[in-house]
Order: sequence, then structure tokens, then C-alpha cells
Amino acid sequence: MAESLSAQKIVKHYGGVVALSDGNLDVHAHEVVALVGANGSGKSTMSKVINGVVVLDGGQLLLDGNPIQFSSPQAAKKVGISTVFQELSLIPQMTVAENIWLTREPLNQFGLVDRKAVNARTEELLALFEGTFKTDLHPDSAVTSLPPDEKQIIEILKAISFDPWLIILDEATASLDSRQVLRLFELVAKWKQQGKAIVFVSHRMEEIFRIADKYSVLRNGRTVGAGNIKDINENQLVKLMIEKESVLGFLRGEAKSDQKVKKEISLEAENLTTESLRGVSFKIRKGELIGIGGLRGQGQRHLLHSLFGDVPYSGTVKLFNKEVHFKHPRDAMRNGFALVPGDRAKEGLLYIRSILDNLLLPSWRRYGLPLKVDQAKKDATQTGSSLNLKMAGLEEPVSSLSGGNAQKVVIGKWLMRDPQVLLLDDPTKGVDVGTKAEFYSLLTRLSEEGKTILFYSSDDEELVGLCDRVFVLYEGKIRTELSGKTLTKENLIAASLGVAEREGDTQ
Amino acid sequence: MKRSRWDALTARQPALFALILLVLSIVINLILQPHMFARETLNSNMRVFLPIIFLSIGQAIVILGGGIDISVGGIVSIINTVLATRVGLDGSTERMWQLVFVSLLAGILAGAINGFFIAYLRLQPIITTYATSFLYAGFALFILPNPGDGIPANIAALYRDSTPLNLPLAFYIIAILLLIWLYISSTRYGKFLYAVGGKPDAAYETAVPVITIQFGTYVISGLMAALAGIAITMLSGSGNAEIGGPMTLNSITAVVIGGNAMSGGVGGVAGPVMGAITLGIIQNIISFANINTWWETLVKATIIVMALAAPGAINLIRRRQP
Repeated sequence: MAESLSAQKIVKHYGGVVALSDGNLDVHAHEVVALVGANGSGKSTMSKVINGVVVLDGGQLLLDGNPIQFSSPQAAKKVGISTVFQELSLIPQMTVAENIWLTREPLNQFGLVDRKAVNARTEELLALFEGTFKTDLHPDSAVTSLPPDEKQIIEILKAISFDPWLIILDEATASLDSRQVLRLFELVAKWKQQGKAIVFVSHRMEEIFRIADKYSVLRNGRTVGAGNIKDINENQLVKLMIEKESVLGFLRGEAKSDQKVKKEISLEAENLTTESLRGVSFKIRKGELIGIGGLRGQGQRHLLHSLFGDVPYSGTVKLFNKEVHFKHPRDAMRNGFALVPGDRAKEGLLYIRSILDNLLLPSWRRYGLPLKVDQAKKDATQTGSSLNLKMAGLEEPVSSLSGGNAQKVVIGKWLMRDPQVLLLDDPTKGVDVGTKAEFYSLLTRLSEEGKTILFYSSDDEELVGLCDRVFVLYEGKIRTELSGKTLTKENLIAASLGVAEREGDTQ
Repeated sequence: MKRSRWDALTARQPALFALILLVLSIVINLILQPHMFARETLNSNMRVFLPIIFLSIGQAIVILGGGIDISVGGIVSIINTVLATRVGLDGSTERMWQLVFVSLLAGILAGAINGFFIAYLRLQPIITTYATSFLYAGFALFILPNPGDGIPANIAALYRDSTPLNLPLAFYIIAILLLIWLYISSTRYGKFLYAVGGKPDAAYETAVPVITIQFGTYVISGLMAALAGIAITMLSGSGNAEIGGPMTLNSITAVVIGGNAMSGGVGGVAGPVMGAITLGIIQNIISFANINTWWETLVKATIIVMALAAPGAINLIRRRQP
């Protein structure tokens, strides 16, 4: 096993865009290094340099002090460097076991894949995360039928299946629930002890401070700071990442007005039931910012999608005391609903089309026949600038934007319709801190304007800091409703795990 | 996360639908033709089905790997015209076997040309093989502009009338092909094939030799097309440069009926074989039902479209229910 890997003065261009101009990273055995930076700062490129996915344009890699070059991901794998990719490298049609052992299948003497051995070894790996799966996960499960968090776990298991010494975790916790993150961190501690090194790429400050020993900060393609995590605090780290003032301060301590209590009820649901919802009822007042919390896959997505007419449901929904039953997103849109979906690349945007096309897609009807294109462009430009969209021009494809800016386009396209009810499915996932702060003030402003907002987030801190009330979903039901003084992170996590109701349960 | 039983079943057994359709068509055929399983009838049916079965297996492998091969009919035509003109109606048996060997090489070469363009030059499979289908069909016309020539009747009889142990020759060939597939699908190559068809980028990141695998599927398809060409020449005994053209769509239809996803990575070979037999039986049913030849194409196409639409229709009906 190797002892150290060092990346020095790394340069990488993509065409005319400089992704890294002076990237540095030192990793040693028995260490967890947090690689942090805002979106577009070069974190992903840095991990792709280390694992051989991209070829460098300058600088050098040293393995145990000796220069080394990787021509492909396989070359990096050979020296024990493994990556947990953010965009999953799993083949959906194949089974869990087939995916984990692809290209390294144990063979029997006839050259056939030894199924027994494959399954036995897969069971061993699955045992590492035992008890955190919601489905009946076994080696023969098809990957396509798994929820996102379990896919992510399979991806992690695949990366560690050949016993690497350096593991790069690229946003690996983004789709995991708190129990799974906890288990992952226990494993990381174990690997560290065994002499492995871990590069941890994450946007979540709290996680970084929980497991990292060292940090390395990238800003605009340059390493601007590195050192021991115990010598730095959250605010200092964030300051390194962004030149602007710290944004996390915005969260806590925002005075929540109780004027809202007097406002009329805007959205009401009674006994909402779908495949994964088991009778959800609530009343929301105009201008309330409601959070939806809980572990992943407890029905949060279904709740938002059924309100948007996307998923068939039974039960009643009332909008301003009038019963509605949307059978198609079109019905919901006509009644002032907007949905920011969880997968912006697939559901939220036409990726290769221009920013302009994306912003205008839900609104074309308003511009008459023949289309008043100039008016439409003017409106889109206004929305773009009000959201502080960083782009080369409205005609550029959405694929040229960073994650945070792409998400702004998704929100922007709905804001152009001036929605009354805004449904958001984990909108800050994979978004950098600077943009997150902009989202927070946007959401606060919208709720002050009297919009009704339903906001699912996998980030507990966000829910606690931002929302008036939080519905905690557990197995398709609202288990707990937190507000005011009860709305704390501890209560939220406890409710998410179903702790209060489940004491004495042997699970 | 409740999935219906049909979903779960078809996910595990993609060929189930093909099996149901096959049994259904056999039953209808039996009603119209009670002695369908008599040795002679069975053999005369199976020898007609075998060329499409060969093509469907090749097509199934290409589609499993995420591609499609529209040029198979053209390859069949080339093999047919080469055999018919170079062996001749009074050629010797040795001459025939020599040319069978040449035919197999020609099929592999034609497949390799497709594979080179698609795997190495990264051209669209559907466009590439559409273009080469004209190349191959044109070449066949160049070899034999007007139908004619052929192979000696005694050699054709080998294919037409062999029934070892009272079973049609085709049964043995199908059994061998399925055994080979069974072996291949449990080797590393088999896993790679599914991986490449399922998500090529992910397969590449996992060190699967994506390009070699893609190239290989077209070579296999070319080889199967050559076997189909040899079989159909021995069946008809004569040459016709346009014999392969209509077979392409049938091979694709057989694969789809067989439960393989057109997007790749799902399915197998047994399903498409059943699909090919089903298609042949449907043809039989049409002729036994005394349907006017004018209507034959329309009826056949309607049955195929309905068979293709059935799984989607089932889904649609289910989605409607909350």
C-alpha cells in the first residue's frame, strides 16, 4: 500500500475554460482530507485528476514522492485509487452483485462467472451497511429498482470492493439519510485505522467538521488554503471559499413573524393517499414557508408530485377553501402551482437548450399568436437579472451553467408565471454556499409576498433555519409537526428516525 | 415502492410475453391445421423459420449491446447470390462447402465493416447500417441482377429433408445456438455485453472494453446473417438478390416480441428465438385462414403492431388507476 499522494500545481483547461490553474492536494495514509470549494471552484476536476479520468495540462502527481501519470481510470485503480462518483457509474439494468464486480468477476474453471462466490462476497459488502436499507436489498436486486440512497451505497461498495488505499468520496453523502451517513462515517474511521486515505468532497460543513482531519480549499481553480481542521472554524472555512461575507449566519436567528397565523388558509389536504403516502392531512396559511423533513424516501417526493397533479392520489385537496383535484400538471399550473423537481438535469431543464428557451417554456401561452418574442425576451432577461444569474448570455445552453445557476433557471422559469403555491423538492442539493444564501433570501422574500411554499430538503439545518413549520414524514405519514420552540435540529432528527414513537421497538 | 406482479415478473423474465404469444399462436395454428406436429409438416415449417431465427439471434445480440443492425437483409442477399452464382445448379458438394466457408468469412467481414464505423468511428448505428444495407443489397444485385442460378437439388435436400431421430434439423441447430448463448451469457463477455448496452459511459468508467464489445456484436450479427443466407439458399435452392430485404424488419420485430428492450441491456436470446417462431406461425395462420394475399401484409403488420403495443397498453391502463 502506498503512503501518500501529492498533486502539485495542477493545471487543467477544458477548451478555453480554465478549471484548475494552481491546484494542490496532499493526502497521506491514516488521514481524511476535506476538499472544499464553491460550485465551479474545481473540486470535481481535482478529483478527476487524481483518479485518472482527465489528463492534466500542467503540474505533477507524486505517489510516495515518485512522479506518476495516469492515462485512464484503470491506471489509477491499479495503484489503489478508487472513486465514488457523484454521477453514478452503475448500470441500471444489471443486478447489485453484477455491478459491484463488473470486470472483476470471480471465474470458475470453465471460465464461467462463479455466482456463488459473487453473491457471497456481495453479501459481505452489503453487511457493512446492514440495517440502513429500506428495501429488501440482496445481491440479485436490479439496481434500477433501488431508491437513490441505496444506489449511492452500492456505488460506495463498488468503489471499496477492490480494497483501494485511497478513496475519493465525491459528494457521496448528498443522497444519503442521516443514519446512512453515520454508518459511512463509522466505516471511514475504520478505513483510516487500516491505513487508507480518504478525500472527502462535500458541501456540508457539519459533515466536514465531523470526519475530516485536514482541509484543502479551492477557489476559482486555485488552492487558497490548507491545514488541520482543528485549527479552523466554520466561518473561517466559508470565508476562504467565498470572497463575500459569510452566509451561514443568515440562517439562524431570523425572526419569524407570527403575523402569518392570522392569515387565511391557502392550501389544505385531507387524507392524501398514494402508493407511498398513507393519509397525509395539513392546513397551510397564505405566506407560510413549510418545510418537509424526514429520512429520504418517506413519501416527500410523492407529496409534492401529487399536489402538482403528477401522481394520482385519493383524498381531498382544497385551494382557498375550494376543492381541486389536479389530474395533470397543466391543471396545477393554471391554478398557480409551480414545482421545482428534485432532479434538475432530468426533470427541471432541457439541458441542451438555451437559458432563454428554458425560462420561457412554461410561459409561452401568454405571448399570444404570433408569439411576441421581443416581449418574452425582455421578461426573461429581467427574471435572469433579478435572480443574479451568472451566464455568458441568454442564448447559451443551460448545460454551460454551474449547478447553482442551473437551479436558478428552474426557479426562474416558474417565477415568470408568478406562482401562488411553490413546491420545492430539495432545491439546494449540490448547490454552492453562495447560491444557497441567495435561495434562502429569495424564499423568505416570496413568503413575505404571500406565496405559499412547501419545501422539502435533505439538509436539516436548512429546514430548522428557514421554515415556519416543518412536517416530518415517516413511512408515508406526517409523524410530527415542529414549529416555534420545538423546531430544533435535535427534535427534527429524532422525529425523522421515528424515535419518539418507536421506543422499545427492537429494530 | 409497490410494483405490480406483472412488472416484477416481466422484469425477471423478459421473454414471458414472447412465450405467451408463442403458445397462443400455436393453439390457433393447431385449430386451423390439426396435423401441425406431424413430422413432415413440422419440418417444412421449421426449415422456413430457421433463417429468421438466425437473423434474430444476431440482431438480439446487437440490440443487447445498445445498437441495431439494419444491414442484415443485405448480407443475406449477398450470401444467397454468391452461393447461387458460384456453386451453380450442377456444382459439386466440395465446391458448396468451400463457398459456405467463404460465405461465413464474407458475413464476418460485412459485420466488421459495420462494427468499425459504429464502434471505432462512433457513428450512429441506425444511420450506418441503413447506409451499408444499400451497399450490401447493391452488391448482391451486382452479383446477380436477375433471379436465377442456384445450388444442386441434392445439397438443398440435405437442409430441407434431414430429420435425425424424427426431429427437424432446425431443432438441433436451435438447441446448439441456445446452449452456446447459455454459456456466453454466464461468462465475463456476457456481463460486459449487458453493461455496454445498459450504460456505456458507466461501463467505460468501470474498465469494460466498450469499443471491442460493440464491434464484436456487429461481427456476430454478420456471422448470423451469413448462416441465415446459407440456410435460405439451401431452402429455396435458387438465387435472388432481393431475398434478404424483407427479412431485416422481421428480425427486429422478433427481438422486440422476444422482450428485449430496444434501448439495450435487457433481455436475452431465447425470447427472440420464440419471437421469430411466432412470426413464422402468424404467417402460417394467415395463409390457412384463406386471407386474400392482398390483405396479407396488412393483417400481418396489424398483428405485429398489436403485439408490440400490448405491454405499453397494459401499463397505460394501470397508470390510469390511482
